[in-house]
Amino acid sequence: MLGARTTWTLQLTGINPFLALAVCGPLAFILGFILHRTLFRYLLSSSETSDIFEANSMLASFGLFFVIQNLALIAWGPEIRGYTYLAFPVEIAGALFGANRLVTAGFAIVIGTAFYLFLARTRMGKAIRSAAQDPTTAGLMGVNINHVLALCFGLGAGLAAIAGMLISMVYPVHGVMGLEYTVIAIIVVVLGGLGSIPGSFIGGFLLGIIGSIVTYIDPGLSLVAYYLIFTILLLVRPTGIMGK
Amino acid sequence: MGDKRITRRDFIRGAAVTGAGLVAASCAPAAEETPTEVPKEKIVVGMSRPLSGPLQVIGDSAFGPIYNRWVQEVNDAGGIYVEEYGKSLPIELKIYDDTSDVGTAVRLTEKLILEDKVDFLWPACGTAFIYAQAPIANKYGYILLTMEGGGTTITPMLPSLPYIFLSLSFSDWYELPVLADLLGEKGAKTAYVSYIADLHGIEYSAVAGIEFPKRGIEIVGLKSLPPDIKDLAPVINLAKASEADVFCCFAYPDQIMPAVGTSMGLGYNPKAWVGGPGVNFGFFQAAFGPAAEGLIGFTTFARGSSPELAAFADMLYADLPLEAQDWWGHPLYWAALETWKAAIEKAGTLNQDAIRDVLATETFDTILGPTWYENGLLAKDAHPGEIGQWINGVFEVVGPKDKATAEFVYPKPEWPAPPEE
Repeated sequence: MLGARTTWTLQLTGINPFLALAVCGPLAFILGFILHRTLFRYLLSSSETSDIFEANSMLASFGLFFVIQNLALIAWGPEIRGYTYLAFPVEIAGALFGANRLVTAGFAIVIGTAFYLFLARTRMGKAIRSAAQDPTTAGLMGVNINHVLALCFGLGAGLAAIAGMLISMVYPVHGVMGLEYTVIAIIVVVLGGLGSIPGSFIGGFLLGIIGSIVTYIDPGLSLVAYYLIFTILLLVRPTGIMGK
Repeated sequence: MGDKRITRRDFIRGAAVTGAGLVAASCAPAAEETPTEVPKEKIVVGMSRPLSGPLQVIGDSAFGPIYNRWVQEVNDAGGIYVEEYGKSLPIELKIYDDTSDVGTAVRLTEKLILEDKVDFLWPACGTAFIYAQAPIANKYGYILLTMEGGGTTITPMLPSLPYIFLSLSFSDWYELPVLADLLGEKGAKTAYVSYIADLHGIEYSAVAGIEFPKRGIEIVGLKSLPPDIKDLAPVINLAKASEADVFCCFAYPDQIMPAVGTSMGLGYNPKAWVGGPGVNFGFFQAAFGPAAEGLIGFTTFARGSSPELAAFADMLYADLPLEAQDWWGHPLYWAALETWKAAIEKAGTLNQDAIRDVLATETFDTILGPTWYENGLLAKDAHPGEIGQWINGVFEVVGPKDKATAEFVYPKPEWPAPPEE
């Protein structure tokens, strides 16, 4: 939501939405990093077990969600905002697509691939993966856990801001838009397999394609289809498509 | 301990003495009542509003700018004069958040009436909400002047809901008959109708199904949209494939705005593109700019409607951004509040029955001009307009023709051409 709102604000001054990326991504990263180094680090140090930390951090996250949402409502107001960008058809193999949708899809693929390569091929990526698998052992091996976790939190916030920027090119923007996309994102991540970037790619495409087909038949059944797939997958393969 | 048994004689004697005492007490002159009521200092108005949730945007954009402004103006002028108290009373709002949930709105409405004992109720937001709220208000004898929401379903019930007054124009009062006239005159033959799967969408699509065929417009496609729909491309593709002259999206801004964006993206430019509520808001024009040209929505007025309405727009929108403008609801809500105030002053009391009688029978002078209610509905003859269209950056009234501020544009212009690199 913050990424989408910021992009909308910047485009009012004539700044191209893609250039807004240079502002939204780093700002959100810094915000996420600081939040982790302050609030969540405090929660981590004050929690006796990882279970308590998980519960407390979830509550804190929901609290933050409401605080940020209401601050945004105060700052930008409750009205729905939007703008038009690349809203014209492009023909590919006889089918018409909105140019803005093609660009957002392409951009999402590029960002996703870059992030995958970062996690798979870099030293920091390896540290992040090890911290995710076993933070205690990773810490004993010399990984600065607090720094890595804050980095992860910052990267998550940055990617969410970029997603908001891309969404704002296609959909309207308003103060309470965040939660609806969060629910879909959770389904995609669980569908693909927790911790698997290729799995999230596959899960996202799968959900999108099935959603479009079902919408074509009856739009009212699209959400039903999402949850049906989700339920079946949890029953048949609880770890997700690519989960281990 | 002595044996103190009550004999039958003792019992009859006791009963006789008690009965005689009660008779004597009931025959005694009534004691003079001592005034215990606290002097009336304000009129408390209760509201269940969507301060959060999906309808928050509608609630804040539509009625929001009106009631805050109106209450401030009335209170700045000293309040509403109530003869019964011999003075003017300021209005105090008591607002609860119904979180955009009908069930919560119903519970809050009862709480406002039974626990808070507010003097008056102002309405919740949304067709389904006022449909649920109206019988409760009526049951407790509270006047409910509804604002944001249609009334096609509730209209047949109004004879049994004498405390309910509907201020907003809606599908068959008298928007879609006027729209069908306009389209029929221009030679539209087919329409594709998409609608949100709630009472608002159901009412509008149903009335379109009655009014369009009367003017020779065949409905070639009908699709319901869930409120949480994100990707409208399949629906727009279906509408495009139908080659319908008219595309209708009877939904909310959350669906209508992406529907317009998707229509542009897929190159779907029907001869008439109708959407509402949404197209009537300033934020629509702010978002789409030149691409909004020719889009049709529901309206009440334009600056060209009358000098009084132009002055009203200047007054209301002078300090508000373009996004906050609502050319459909704002004047009707303002006028409804004016009728409410005038009815209280005329009745000279806060008694709901007396005020209801005034509302139901009198004609009031409001920003719309002479304004009155016909069987609980704000008279359609008092509406300065029904159908609007963005023309040269202004949401003009194009129907009915005798109240139009601009000529109806049909077919609509092409979407703006893509930028040449």
